Amino acid sequence: MNPTLALTIASLKMYYRNRQAIFWTLVLPLMFIVIFGLLDFGAFSTVNMGLVDEADTPASEILTELLERMEDSEGSDEGGVIDLSVGNRDAEMRALEDGDRHIVIVIPPDFGESRDPVTVEAFYAEDRFQQADVGIGIVRGILDEFTLRSAKVQRQFLVESQAVESKGLEYVDFLVPGIIAMAIMQMGIFSVVFSLIQYRQQGVLRRLYATPIRPHNFLIGQVFTRLLVSIVQVVVLLGVGVLIFDVTVAGNFGYLFILAVLGGALFLAIGFVISGFAKNEEVGAPLANIIALPMMFLSGVFFPTDTLPGVLEDIVQYLPLTFLADGMREVAIQGASITEIPWEVLGMVVWLAIAFLAATRVFRWE
Amino acid sequence: MDCVIRATGLTKKYGGLTAVDNVSFEVERGEIFGLLGPNGAGKTTTVEILEGMRSASEGTAVIDGTDVTKDPRGVKAKIGVQLQSSSFFSNLALVEIVSLFGHLYGQKVDAKDVLERVELLDKAKAQYRQLSGGQKQRLSIATALVNDPVVMFLDEPTTGLDPQARRHMWDLIKRLRADGKTIVMTTHYMEEAEELCDRVAIIDRGSIVSLDTPDSLIDSLLDTGFRKERMGKAANLEDVFLHLTGKSLRED
Repeated sequence: MNPTLALTIASLKMYYRNRQAIFWTLVLPLMFIVIFGLLDFGAFSTVNMGLVDEADTPASEILTELLERMEDSEGSDEGGVIDLSVGNRDAEMRALEDGDRHIVIVIPPDFGESRDPVTVEAFYAEDRFQQADVGIGIVRGILDEFTLRSAKVQRQFLVESQAVESKGLEYVDFLVPGIIAMAIMQMGIFSVVFSLIQYRQQGVLRRLYATPIRPHNFLIGQVFTRLLVSIVQVVVLLGVGVLIFDVTVAGNFGYLFILAVLGGALFLAIGFVISGFAKNEEVGAPLANIIALPMMFLSGVFFPTDTLPGVLEDIVQYLPLTFLADGMREVAIQGASITEIPWEVLGMVVWLAIAFLAATRVFRWE
Repeated sequence: MDCVIRATGLTKKYGGLTAVDNVSFEVERGEIFGLLGPNGAGKTTTVEILEGMRSASEGTAVIDGTDVTKDPRGVKAKIGVQLQSSSFFSNLALVEIVSLFGHLYGQKVDAKDVLERVELLDKAKAQYRQLSGGQKQRLSIATALVNDPVVMFLDEPTTGLDPQARRHMWDLIKRLRADGKTIVMTTHYMEEAEELCDRVAIIDRGSIVSLDTPDSLIDSLLDTGFRKERMGKAANLEDVFLHLTGKSLRED
């Protein structure tokens, strides 16, 4: 067996036996997916509607009943469109001011008894106008129906709604490819920084240097192991996303693996550069964090980069993690092929070239 | 005389500091050659130059026909080393470490056989981090044996070991000599050098100040009229310790 192969097999065994490495590369990103996936930032929340019935007539009872019916599932599996609370005016208005209601509907005393038009009042929280709009629309629809019935008028126009399957992208679809990119970055940078610094400090590298091998015999095994891990990360994290969160994967796994390997190589090279500079873990750990943490929060892992202020967005688009996260997202969700994301691929190749050159210069056995 | 190592005018300078200053010596095949000296005297640097791990500023060293200054990798392939501050992959089993090192020399070794030679066969499945200090040193010797080296370099092989483990290591080193290995070792312990070394070189401030068999060195000191202030008794405290605690190893 040649030295490179022997060292690669040894490296795979060691990675597999290292519980901590498995935690950082798989368990932690999974926790991120589950926690942020459950938060579901992008979802439309239910309309919290307060109802004040000052009429207590048969007509107002019908209105209340119709609204209550909307509270139960309206053809959706996630509960009703509205969350209805019935109470007196003071209590409901206070709840509105406290932010516990989006909208409060007041049915006037003469509702359904008067021949003249009656006014149903709607009060809404101004910062929740979207929910309020939906609530007002629902109430208006029911009242219009009342008008039509009492006037005994035939409907002239009908709306027929039909559900069409759409890509229906949700926050979790955005999140999962970003988390995969983040996981590959963390794995690339941290696993190399910590293991290489430890090997050097303990004298493992010194002992290897006393044998006739060359640096590449050792480094190829280290890199190969971690690139394999990056592919495992794609499979496991995306698999969980699909199975638990119903993430829509439109893209080709082959392209995702190419991106994982390219991104993995790039972050490994950055890891090698850091471990070349850092004499010990006390220096290596903060250095790795200073590089990885800002990218984790800025590079569009958790939210799109266009929410960042202008200057920052201009800078962030050139960060290695932005290229990887965007590329992953384009392929996984939009179904892009590698040739359709030349900007991201070019960005990663350039970073890889820079980091690789630096890494070969700073590598040392002792 | 069959000379395996010939060092000529070895010098190592770090900036203005001369760590090794014009050191020359020869080591014969099959002998145990000791390098003695205080800390910082240049023992380890000298050994590391011979091992091909450090370049010499001046001078040459030929080991078994290969010039280490020209072909360090060629020398590395022929020798076995035990380094002073080194370690092994902590979560590999000993058999895995030994056969891995075999492959690093392009050789397929019988790892169990090698472990047997250093009396670690019962630990073959254990991982490196589970070993005691003496066992780690013995594994280090095992990895130095995988390429059936012509010369073995042992840098302070017994530092930090308890008396039992040290005696055990001495026996192992004597067995290696009996197997025909040439051994270059450094040590701080004079009784160790006396017990093991056929010849010793005493190094101070980067230069060899004396080189001979331990016996001759002692005789020439006595010839100058030197006498110990207090003659030792026929036994010392280490003898007492070993008498009371036995010679068997305690690390298992």
